[in-house]
Order: sequence, then structure tokens, then C-alpha cells
Amino acid sequence: MSISVRNLTKTFNDKKVLDNISFSVENGHTLGVVGFSGSGKSTLLKIISGLLYSDSGTIITENNSDIAMTFQYSALFDFLDVYHNIAFPLLERREFRGKYSKKEIKNIVKEKLALVGLEGIEEKFPSELSGGMQKRVGFARAIVTNPNIILYDEPTAGLDPVSSTLIENYIVRLKNELNAACIVVTHQMSTITRACDDVILLYEGKIVYRGTVNDFVSANTPYTKQFIEANIDGPMEIKSLT
Amino acid sequence: MINVKSTLTYSFFKLFFHCIKDFLITIGNIGKDFSRVLYYVVRLRINASATIEQSSRFAVDSLPITLTIVGMTSVIIAMQIAPELAKQGAEGYMGMMSALVMIRELSCIMSGFAIISMIGSSFASELASMAVGEQISAMHVLKVDPVEYLVVPRVLSGILTMPFVFIVSSLVGLVCTCLVSYMTAGLSPLNFMTSLWQGLYLRDILIAMLKASFFGGTIALISCSCGYSTRGGAKEVGESTTKAVVWSFVAIAVWDYIFAVLFYL
Ligand SMILES: Nc1ncnc2c1ncn2[C@@H]1O[C@H](COP(=O)(O)OP(=O)(O)O)[C@@H](O)[C@H]1O
Ligand SMILES: [Mg+2]
Repeated sequence: MSISVRNLTKTFNDKKVLDNISFSVENGHTLGVVGFSGSGKSTLLKIISGLLYSDSGTIITENNSDIAMTFQYSALFDFLDVYHNIAFPLLERREFRGKYSKKEIKNIVKEKLALVGLEGIEEKFPSELSGGMQKRVGFARAIVTNPNIILYDEPTAGLDPVSSTLIENYIVRLKNELNAACIVVTHQMSTITRACDDVILLYEGKIVYRGTVNDFVSANTPYTKQFIEANIDGPMEIKSLT
Repeated sequence: MINVKSTLTYSFFKLFFHCIKDFLITIGNIGKDFSRVLYYVVRLRINASATIEQSSRFAVDSLPITLTIVGMTSVIIAMQIAPELAKQGAEGYMGMMSALVMIRELSCIMSGFAIISMIGSSFASELASMAVGEQISAMHVLKVDPVEYLVVPRVLSGILTMPFVFIVSSLVGLVCTCLVSYMTAGLSPLNFMTSLWQGLYLRDILIAMLKASFFGGTIALISCSCGYSTRGGAKEVGESTTKAVVWSFVAIAVWDYIFAVLFYL
């Protein structure tokens, strides 16, 4: 198994954001993590990628695994153009420095940009791109090193339906090509049905549903029903709104 | 019953302890970042191209402002002093005095102030907005150490280029003093120059260059550290920038005092 999360707990200012979460993702599988805003999805990804410490719990990955992550708001380097954003890990990461020639890097960047449908924008700066384009550039940057664990934080939020489908197909394709273990945090049903194999639904820091995508869509539990039908009434309530 | 939490004394102490906590956290962050910078510098893990880029920014881009401030200060001082000295018949000491004041104190501290307001504030706001925009997190995930990539080149640029800023601004300052002494007190430039040599010591210049180096490094380190540790949003970016500027001003004053005590007491 490629990544395994055991009994993860995280508290922010006395608020339990993650409460004893456990799951695992095999190589070549994609796990969708769904839940309302503020249910701790981004926090979960940040703990897995090492940006935050958990209060307790363990994360088990294989040796030499390379974790990549795309950010909810892209987090492109705004002082670098698109080319240098994508080439950044190849140019600056210690283990890669000097490993590739200029021409090779150029080709890799071109190939990754083509994969996200954005050819020929190497010289633009992030501020000159639309939000959706920024997202796709961030996507290209994350996968430039061919990682084997990929975390996507809302990869399709804010994209038009066609670009979303492009990204969703690409998540599937990349998972197969690299035999990667992927975790996709999303709100969008299309992303769940097209890109994910399994789903967990988070509410108040706990997993209230887990199963395959097909089960999730047809499941008749109160939680999944409320989420899929987007009902205001149901077992889950958004605290900040009431 | 009095509500303790609504009393003035309570809010005073709360504010007081908040300030102390803030102070200690900032000191801690600066110390931590300093040790990390040291770690990379000692291992010679230095990004040369980034260092050169930041150096050009630190020394060259700031030069117009630095020279304006140092130049104006020397013009004003010369305007006040030269006629007075001439009245007392001591205009022969003008050059010597200017050299002493300029090299030992004025040039260093004034260019330090100019650099803080121009470069320090931009270092701080730049790193702060990168921190709140998750760009620094993105670097961590891409396995590039942001301290190595962002902070080390900036601190090194400060240490390496500030002495040159000092030399250029001293030169400009002395030329300004010379001209103004001539215009306001009729002191001939030759006269000024002759006395200038008597106030110019190699030791003073070397100490001042060392001091400038400390100033540059301190400004860059404090500014980067304040920016780097920012969490939150636009408001916090502004607060960090203010903090960087204030702390840099105080730090420079403290360094100046320490150098004066160490070398001239
Ligand atoms: N650095 C932090 N400090 C304090 N609280 C935080 C921090 N990061 C996230 N939170 C809180 O944790 C909860 C989950 O946040 P997040 O993981 O971003 O949610 P999601 O991505 O599911 O929308 C939110 O209530 C948020 O306010
Ligand atoms: Mg989120």
C-alpha cells in the first residue's frame, strides 16, 4: 500500500478539525475526500504533505516516495514566469540541480503545459492568467517531477466544465501512467464520479461515510443523501451559517 | 462586585504582556532564521545567481534614495556649521570635522535608514505576501528550502554590498559638504581638502565598513524574518512590514552604539 493514514487528530484553538481519521490509498488508486467548507480537508492534505504537524497519529508512506500537492489557490510564484514556475523543482531542488540540460527542461515544461492544455504561455506571469489557467499551471508544476503520491486540493474548483473534464481525465491518466496514489479534495460531483475510485465524506472531523464511488452515488445514508442532493436540512449543518 | 476584566489595570497588564510575548516571539523568529542562514552559509550552500540579483537590488536600486538622503543631510549640516566656523576663524577645521562625522557616523546610519525604508520594507512585504499566499508552503512541498532560496541570498546581499553603499555615500556626502562650505562660507575646496586628510583615518574607514556590513546583514535578516513568519492576510502583511522597519531602526541604533563603545570609548 502506498499511503496509509492512522488515527490522525488535529486541533486548532480547542476545535477538533480532524478526529481520529484513518484510511489508506493503494498505488494506482484515487481517493476522493469530500465535505463542507471548513471540514478540515485542506488541513488533512497539509498534514500528509508535511506542512503541518498533527497532534497525534501516523502517516506511513513507502521509502523514496515523492509527494506532490496542488493548492486550493494555486500558490504560483508570482515573481517567476510560467516557464520558471513549472521548471522550479527541476532547477532548484537539490537532487535535480544540474541533472537536466536547459533543452531537456524546456521540453519537459512544454510537455506538461500541453497536458493541461496551455501551450505557448511560458513567458506570461501568473498575474496575467485567469484563475483557471493559474490552477492548471499549478497542476503542471506539481507533476513535473513525476511524483508517486499526488494530493489535489480542489483541482477543479473555479474551472469551466470543459477544463474540469480535461483535468479530471488527466488525474486518471496520470494515476495510471505513474501508478500513483492520489487524494483528491473536491466539492464537485463530476470530479468524484470521473476521477475517483473511493470516497470518504468528512463531517466535524470524522469520516461519516466511506465506500466506492458507485456506492457513494447510490448510497442511501442520510449523510450522502444530503451531500449529493445539496440539502440544507439533514444530519450535517454548517455551523458558521447558523 | 467589580468585573476584574473590565478594569483599566487589567487591560493595561494584558496589553503589556501581549507586547512582551510579541517581542519574545519576534526575537525567537529572528534567532531561528539567523541560525538557519548560518547553517547554509557555513556549508557554502549558496544560490549564487539569486545572491547577485538581490545584491544589485540592495545596493544599486536603492542608491538614488540613499545618496539623496546622505547628500541632503550633509548639505544641511555644512550650511549650519561652515558659516559659524568661519565666524570663529576656524574654517580650516571644516574638512577634518566633516570627514570625522561623515565616516564615523553620518554616512553609515543615514544610508542604513534609507535602505531600511526602501529595501527592508520591500523584503518584508514580499516575503509576507508569499507566506500568506502559500507560496512558501508550495516551496516546501516542492522540496526547495525557502530559507536557502529566499532568505540566504537576501542576507548575504546585505552583508556584502552595504560597505560599498557606505563608501559611495560617504564620497557624495563629502563632496556636498565641500561645495556647500564654499558657497556659504567661501571656504575654498583646496582648503577643505587639505584639512580633510587630517580627519581621515584608515582605521575609521575599516571600522565603518565593518559596521555597514553588520547594518546590511541585520536589516536584511530582520526584514526577511518578519516577512517569512507572517500568517493571515493583507492586514498581517502590513503589520509585518511595519514591524520589520521598526525593528530594523532599533537594531541599527543598537549596533551603532555597540560599535561606538567597542572602538571609540
Ligand atoms: N492555521 C490555522 N489556524 C487556526 N485554524 C485553522 C487554521 N487552518 C485551518 N483552520 C480551521 O480549521 C478548519 C478546517 O479548515 P480547512 O482544512 O481549510 O477546511 P476545508 O479545506 O475543508 O474547507 C476551519 O474551521 C479553519 O478555520
Ligand atoms: Mg480547503
